Amino acid sequence: MTKTQPSDEREFAEEQSSLFKITLGPLAWALHFVASYAAAAVWCAKGPGGSILPLRLGIGAMTAVALGLILWVGWRAWQQWDFTDDWDYEHARARGEDRHEFLGHAAFLLAIVSFVGTCYTALPALYIGTCR
Amino acid sequence: MTTRRRRAIAVRAGLAAALTALAACDGPQSVLSPAGDDASQLTTLFWVMLVGAVVLWTAMNGFFFWITRIRTGEMSRKWAEALIIGGGILFPVVVLTALLSYGLTIMPDQRAPGDGLRVRITGEQWWWRVEYWSEGADAPVVSANELRLPAGLRSDIELTAARVIHSFWVPALGGKMDMFPGRVTETSLAPHTPGTYRGQCAEFCGLSHALMAFRAVVLPEDEFDAWLAREAEDSAAPPGPGRDVFMAEGCGACHTVRGTEAAGQVGPDLTHVGSRQSLAAGILPMTSDALVDWIADPEAFKPGVEMPGYDHLPQEDMMALARWLEGLK
Repeated sequence: MTKTQPSDEREFAEEQSSLFKITLGPLAWALHFVASYAAAAVWCAKGPGGSILPLRLGIGAMTAVALGLILWVGWRAWQQWDFTDDWDYEHARARGEDRHEFLGHAAFLLAIVSFVGTCYTALPALYIGTCR
Repeated sequence: MTTRRRRAIAVRAGLAAALTALAACDGPQSVLSPAGDDASQLTTLFWVMLVGAVVLWTAMNGFFFWITRIRTGEMSRKWAEALIIGGGILFPVVVLTALLSYGLTIMPDQRAPGDGLRVRITGEQWWWRVEYWSEGADAPVVSANELRLPAGLRSDIELTAARVIHSFWVPALGGKMDMFPGRVTETSLAPHTPGTYRGQCAEFCGLSHALMAFRAVVLPEDEFDAWLAREAEDSAAPPGPGRDVFMAEGCGACHTVRGTEAAGQVGPDLTHVGSRQSLAAGILPMTSDALVDWIADPEAFKPGVEMPGYDHLPQEDMMALARWLEGLK
């Protein structure tokens, strides 16, 4: 096995943070999903009854936080992709720049999916006003 | 046979098949001939979805045909990007958001609170225990295997199950709702057209799941009120050989006939069994012949049923029992 070069190690250490970033969008979506459904289930089973306005407001607040986080991740990923610099969306070569931009590109697309998914998760709270 | 002749036969066969298929769209258990507000809404939803799906399918295949057969040259990069972003991201997001919003706005209507009458239905193996709770009533009017509802009013339906899961569904009146042991689920139905419809258990619940059906009878409001008042009364249960057989054979250990000492809770309430339109949860007609066949060997009609057969009874006892039951109106 060849020994890892010191420059590679430095580069991998740099990319660790963007590897983490790639999961942030879907993670925010997943946490928002679980929190929304758990909150609705618990409120409707054990809640005080009557209006579910506090629940809907709570889901609204969680949605705002999740969407804010996803927007931030999307913006950082867009910057990392640096698309408008060279209009490059192919990252097939084995070099640092391609790896760097690929991770940004992927995180950006995942942020879009997560944004749409989070909005769809919140829609029932907007339209359905009771526990029935 | 000539080609033309063969083609004519094929066209005729196709038409016959299409007519047969279309005939299934009508009838007492069809979502496509709605008799209630909820079912009407669901039918509209179905047609919107179907037309949308047909349009999308045609457009996608037409586009595919165009791109692979008609305009086969290389596509410019700009065009391809616009296609992927516009057709692959923006268009589906807009269409799905519109459809999701439309579907979600309908859901609250399907569970809208009722106008007073509450019907509690318990799924048994394999029949339906039905209790009518009028507004302000202290005790229910107990019946079984038939649901009667007033037209033009929304009735609350409370659902639960005795031992295993079931699902309550009258396709002509509304959407289905699952029934769970130990839990109460709620729905509501607002039938608008009087008539007799068919309900069916829609969640596999054991051996005779497919044989667990019922009639849903929608009556004008005044007729419903009169019917419920009659249903609340005790049975006339005239004395005679039929009643004697019923009591002597211990039928009352499982069945209730209000107005007699029979007060069993295991099987369906038989107080007004003769006034129901079907026997054995929607699978047999309410006739004395069917009653004889059923009582002699329930297992033959409903595999796994808990009721034992009484084929040891002499023919005359059996006929007397069947006529007495048929007379419980």
